[in-house]
Amino acid sequence: MKTILILAITALVATSPVWAQPIQTGSTSAGSIQTGSIQTGSDQYKQAMSQAISTMQSRSEKSPVSDILASANQFERIANAEPKEWLPRYYASLSYVYLGFMGKDETEKDKYLDQADKNLKAAEAIAPDNDELAVLKAYIAQSRMVVDPMNRWQQYGPLFQAGLEKAKSLNANNPRIYVLEGSSLMYTPEQFGGGPGNACPVLKQATEKFSTFKPANDLAPMWGQKQIEPLLAKCK
Amino acid sequence: MKPVYFLFLLLGVTLSASAQSTLTGRVMDQKGRALPGANVFLQGTYDGANTDSTGNFRFTSAKDTATLLVSYIGYEPFSKKISIGQSTPFTIRLTETANELNTVVITAGSFEASDEKRMTMLKPMDIVTTAGANADITAAMNLLPGTQRVGEQTGLFVRGGSGEEAKVVIDGMIVQNPYFSSMPDLQSRGRFQPFMFKGTSFSTGGYSAQYGQALSSVLLLNTTDKTQNEGLGVSINLANAALSYDHATENSSISATGYYGNLKPLFSLVRQNMDWTHVPEFAGSSLTYRLQPSKTGMLKFYGMYSNSRLGMNFIDPSNETGKTAFNQRNGNFFTTSTYTDSWAGGRWSLNSGLSYSYDTDATTFDVYDFGRSSERLQGRAVLTRLLPANNSLLLGTEASRVTYRNAVAGTQYALHDNYGAVFVESQTYLGRNLAVQLGLRGEYSSVISRFNLAPRISMAYKTGTFSQVSLAYGQFYQTPDYRYLYHNTSLNYERADHLILNYQIIKNKRTFRVETFYKNYAQLVREFTGQPHDANPYRFPIGRTDNSGNGYAQGFDIFWRDQKTIKGLDYWVTYSYVDSKRLFQQFAVAATPTFISNHNISLIGKRYFEKISTNMGLTYTISSGRPYYNPTNENFLADRTPMVNNLSFSASHITRIKKNLVVLYTSVDNILNTHNVFTYRYTPDRNGGPGQTRYAVGPQSYRSFFVGGMIMLSKKAKVNVNDL
Repeated sequence: MKTILILAITALVATSPVWAQPIQTGSTSAGSIQTGSIQTGSDQYKQAMSQAISTMQSRSEKSPVSDILASANQFERIANAEPKEWLPRYYASLSYVYLGFMGKDETEKDKYLDQADKNLKAAEAIAPDNDELAVLKAYIAQSRMVVDPMNRWQQYGPLFQAGLEKAKSLNANNPRIYVLEGSSLMYTPEQFGGGPGNACPVLKQATEKFSTFKPANDLAPMWGQKQIEPLLAKCK
Repeated sequence: MKPVYFLFLLLGVTLSASAQSTLTGRVMDQKGRALPGANVFLQGTYDGANTDSTGNFRFTSAKDTATLLVSYIGYEPFSKKISIGQSTPFTIRLTETANELNTVVITAGSFEASDEKRMTMLKPMDIVTTAGANADITAAMNLLPGTQRVGEQTGLFVRGGSGEEAKVVIDGMIVQNPYFSSMPDLQSRGRFQPFMFKGTSFSTGGYSAQYGQALSSVLLLNTTDKTQNEGLGVSINLANAALSYDHATENSSISATGYYGNLKPLFSLVRQNMDWTHVPEFAGSSLTYRLQPSKTGMLKFYGMYSNSRLGMNFIDPSNETGKTAFNQRNGNFFTTSTYTDSWAGGRWSLNSGLSYSYDTDATTFDVYDFGRSSERLQGRAVLTRLLPANNSLLLGTEASRVTYRNAVAGTQYALHDNYGAVFVESQTYLGRNLAVQLGLRGEYSSVISRFNLAPRISMAYKTGTFSQVSLAYGQFYQTPDYRYLYHNTSLNYERADHLILNYQIIKNKRTFRVETFYKNYAQLVREFTGQPHDANPYRFPIGRTDNSGNGYAQGFDIFWRDQKTIKGLDYWVTYSYVDSKRLFQQFAVAATPTFISNHNISLIGKRYFEKISTNMGLTYTISSGRPYYNPTNENFLADRTPMVNNLSFSASHITRIKKNLVVLYTSVDNILNTHNVFTYRYTPDRNGGPGQTRYAVGPQSYRSFFVGGMIMLSKKAKVNVNDL
């Protein structure tokens, strides 16, 4: 549970939105998505998702809010057409997490994160005990905390931790667990157990996991590797 | 005409090519403003689009009929069955969803600290990080508007009310002994640690029909749902040493604490104004267990036991030596368990609880036995039905059996009271801007064999995006003090009527709140002794009593908090004004009671210093003088003590020692070493004596300091914020 405190302190210190990791869902090129090795779903579903995911990949934290919102809408529309698929809800929720970092004030950030929560809940109803959803849950908790760290770490710190722990218990090889854990440690001052010394082993763990991680299909979440590259550069 | 022609052509081509129809339209809010980025689509299909920057949308569909869905963040979703052949554009107006910003909240009389609600003026952290509060909930509340600081007495003195008129309620259950046993002329701390609670709501009047038996105030404390620590923690400071253990599993958690305290180390460093014969010594333990048996249910059990011992010679003008020996051993047992659950997607919810407490003081004044004990068994159940549009209806009942026992210089008194209450309360929203809460509470007390029926009403109106006004009126009853009831059980309830008007504006991390009130006191107990006024605070009532007393309190208070203007600095200012007179107790004429100070000001500042990872706070309080009884002045309670002021500082620092988390904290109270006087007392007029001499009653010590620290020994340890 030490992370809880660490996060709190980190969040206090975080003046720039260091938490807003680059919005890049794919680890490599978007092209691979086009190759159809998906096991489930109709062609229309695959095509719509591939298109929506590649649109999302073309965005960055510098994109206007309306573009990210358009992506979120796009995924919500696919979710509406495919009520048995959890991935559209997952990506919709993830888009709202990014919006949560971009909102102009606390109220707006919370509004987006409420929407992230809604989509997460819908996804969990379709796919309970899914490690990616547990990671996403932790991500949302972290975003909530960053909105007002001083007052929120008590509530959301444990949720962040619980999300990561649940994800580990479901699939300890999911690299995104270590992406979230490591990047939060990186921005934590050393005297609170953070700093490069503590973050780098976790980030390296993330890199190792990425090298062996095989996404379930071409639409499955693949983000994380690029985000930690600038952090890993500090690990020399 | 060219573009139109072109459009038609294009449309015709698409139609013929794929037999698809085009849907167009515009999405707006109720005021007709465009909503860009809204999601427009047909249910169960891939057909849909986002609205553009002017709120317009356009997409095609091969369907003939479908349900058109429109969603937009912060607005109620829209759905409508449509046939797609129609060529006229759709005009869709969305309604804003009710949320904390656009919906009025009833706030008159209440001051909340909560993590769950976003629009509160305080956060639970504020209670522990405020200098001068010493992590004591009551002390923190005493810095809020509407309170009067009474240095030598225990409890909350709210808007002209005495300490007995405020009740402390944990998870709906009244706590019989919320404070450590009172000592002569010394203020006692609350028994409960601030971080047991996730939410604190302090009412300065006009409170809900859910609560009763408090003429001026209720302090509502809600316990946390899970532990925030894991593993073993050790804490040591100048007053005590404590061990804590926490463990949580998926759906349950347990916390246990044990402590031993002795004020010898502190007293050897901080000069005491008291003559201690047995330095306060205390030990205790507590156990908390929380279980989530289902997704919605929550069972909590809390139990604690503590023991304390102390002895002193306190200043007693009525004694020829000027001092009286006081000895006390206290034993306190408190347990409460609650069960909450909800059904039908939260439309029905239940809050229920059972609590038992036993408290005993073996007390002697000189050689005389003044022992006392109290016992309380209480049960409570509240059923809430949520209705559409945020409306709700609440129905509840509570019952308690309380036993008091007192020894007065050897004479034994005892009293049992069976108390029952039912209450109903509705909350109605007339649109987003106006809310009305109506409540009714009926009570019966067996000791006086009387009923009462107390209506309560409060309403709030939103005057702007960030501001609102609230109004509250209510009748409040309280069974007379048990010391009167020992002699006279024909007394009636004491009564207070509150009228409160409140205005607040919360915007951009700045809060301004002003509240004005009028309180009318009726049926107050008066005592007729046939003797001159006796100012001895420990006297036991002996005279004839009736309910012919009355009084009033009126005033206003102001709160300003700013977390924005100076980066990193959070400060707040409160000012409370009260004017009050009463005819009660032994008063022969109406007068301002001794616990009233007309003006109370507090200035609070805190800042986190990132480089040294230290949180620092300063608090300055000023209270104007209070009346005291001067037997040589023929005007009753016409004299005033000097102003009381205090500047205090606190700091906490977080670090690691060998990978274990360590928190160090320090505080300095009364930095300026002001020799504050809380009240004056007079020696009795003795025949042949030197005449009546005045004694000053002041604080236990003047400038004082405190240091301590804690370490979490578990590898997974996290700081215990209790000790920050």
